[in-house]
Amino acid sequence: MYNFFDQLILTLGAWVVGLVVACGNGVSKFCCGQPLSEAAAHNVAAGTEIVLICVTIYGVFALCFGLATWLERKMLARIQNRYGPNRVGPFGLFQFVADGVKMLTKEDIVPARADKLVHFLAPAVVLAPALLMFAFLPFGRNMAPTNLDTAVIAFFAVGAGSEMALFMAGWGSRNKYSILGAMRAVAQMISYEIPLVLAAVPVVMVVGSLSTSQIVAAQGADGFLDMSRWFVWTPWGFAGFILFLVAATAESNRCPFDLPEGESELVAGFHVEYSGFKFALFFMAEYIGMMAMAGLGVTLFLGGWHGPKLLPSWMWFMGKGFLIVCWLIWLRGTLPRLRVDQLMAFAWKAMLPFALFNIFTTAVWFHLPKATLLQSAVAWLVTAALVAAAYWVVSRFVCRRAGALRVYHYAS
Amino acid sequence: MDVTFIILSLITVVGAIWAVTLRNLIHGVLSLVLFFFGVAGFFFYLNADFVGWVQILVYVGAVAILAIFAIMLTHNLTAKDEPGFFSLRWLTGMAIAAAVGAVLWFAIKNNAAMLQTAPAGVTSSVADIGRKMMTDWVVPFEVVSLLLTAAMIGAIVIAMEQISHRK
Repeated sequence: MYNFFDQLILTLGAWVVGLVVACGNGVSKFCCGQPLSEAAAHNVAAGTEIVLICVTIYGVFALCFGLATWLERKMLARIQNRYGPNRVGPFGLFQFVADGVKMLTKEDIVPARADKLVHFLAPAVVLAPALLMFAFLPFGRNMAPTNLDTAVIAFFAVGAGSEMALFMAGWGSRNKYSILGAMRAVAQMISYEIPLVLAAVPVVMVVGSLSTSQIVAAQGADGFLDMSRWFVWTPWGFAGFILFLVAATAESNRCPFDLPEGESELVAGFHVEYSGFKFALFFMAEYIGMMAMAGLGVTLFLGGWHGPKLLPSWMWFMGKGFLIVCWLIWLRGTLPRLRVDQLMAFAWKAMLPFALFNIFTTAVWFHLPKATLLQSAVAWLVTAALVAAAYWVVSRFVCRRAGALRVYHYAS
Repeated sequence: MDVTFIILSLITVVGAIWAVTLRNLIHGVLSLVLFFFGVAGFFFYLNADFVGWVQILVYVGAVAILAIFAIMLTHNLTAKDEPGFFSLRWLTGMAIAAAVGAVLWFAIKNNAAMLQTAPAGVTSSVADIGRKMMTDWVVPFEVVSLLLTAAMIGAIVIAMEQISHRK
């Protein structure tokens, strides 16, 4: 019974592939009088499989995007003591459908002086990396879309493409608020990409592989006790997870790191000049990128699709990802926006040294003996002390002045 | 010549030509990004996927962004004193390009290891690259790291001098 639900999506996929091959055979018999050759049948099956994987991932995550916008508005409303959307459907659940229709029917405005081609391309270019990032995440048992042995670095490389897209949006609009927002976005994303990648390095060091499937496999089986093998329970894993979450928040331009959009000073940052569905594409890229980051966080630190056999593996993955998304929404409702200088100081003076020290701590953990329970406990305590010491040093001495009042060179 | 190679070559060559001929510098940088993607595609085509991803991560994610910041921070970008087609600067540039091309050509031509095709069944996994870098090539690797660190410290020192001048 468990295996049936665990592999339900794969079974359905195999059924559709079989159906398409059977149809191909039928068409071939009707046209040429003989069934498909073995190679042709294999090609048809492989092609159908690729199309199915893409359609499923994009369909599921487009729906998740819709539900996430609803969830975000509901949760923010709850935090701010108001109702939130409650008109369309039960609890306003179909609000995103109404929003989608509204976006589709809005006029598409292009500024007269805009760089037409760049302005037109930017929304598509910004969405492509966000969607592509899902190709490297294992969603459940036997459910990895690709099986690269460079998956982690591929994920970050694809994510790096979105910086260029945000710049294209800001520059192509020919608007000073847009260009300011775009330059802020680019500077912020390139700064936070370094702690983001360095936060993932300890996991790669311990597993000894960049493959997301192997990273998940290294984090245990499906019992209750096996949950203790998730990397987040080790000192370096916990520190890495926190670093990763903070850097991922900044990387997806979300509050409190949403300076590139900064409504109070930049109107809406790099997408001021976008309306209708082009704006919706930016919105979609932000949410889908956020979900992909949550998925990578789950894969690296929270044991991927592993979990007690109460739920199918893909539900564990989606559930953990959902928790991270909820945490991001909660953060958005709680914290005020940072200043630009605080943002940069935090990335370079606090997160970077701490991430570097975390890599060192991981090396210590890797070489300490962990054969018996006592040795494991000693290793845990030693690395925990190292992480705590690193946190103390960084917060006390390295970024001491980050919270100081800003000196305005030209205004004071 | 298969289709993949032709498509990748088209992307790479068109991107490179646009990067140097387009009048608008930002368009030039965007074409350069196209070119970087084409080169990354070539690495994937040659089964060197790690190098391909690093190409995208470093060149699209960092070098192109650096070029954009350089353009954005440069004063008088739309200067009118652009040299004519046959100015001396063009000739110097072409001479330097020809010299660099000749050196590269001779280096490849006279290097036996570069000319032979890889034997079948050889894979270049990340683990292999890492092992080689930490054993056979550890000294060059460390020298490059030192060079990058020195460059970074130099950049910081230059920036600090400017700040202290402003005050």
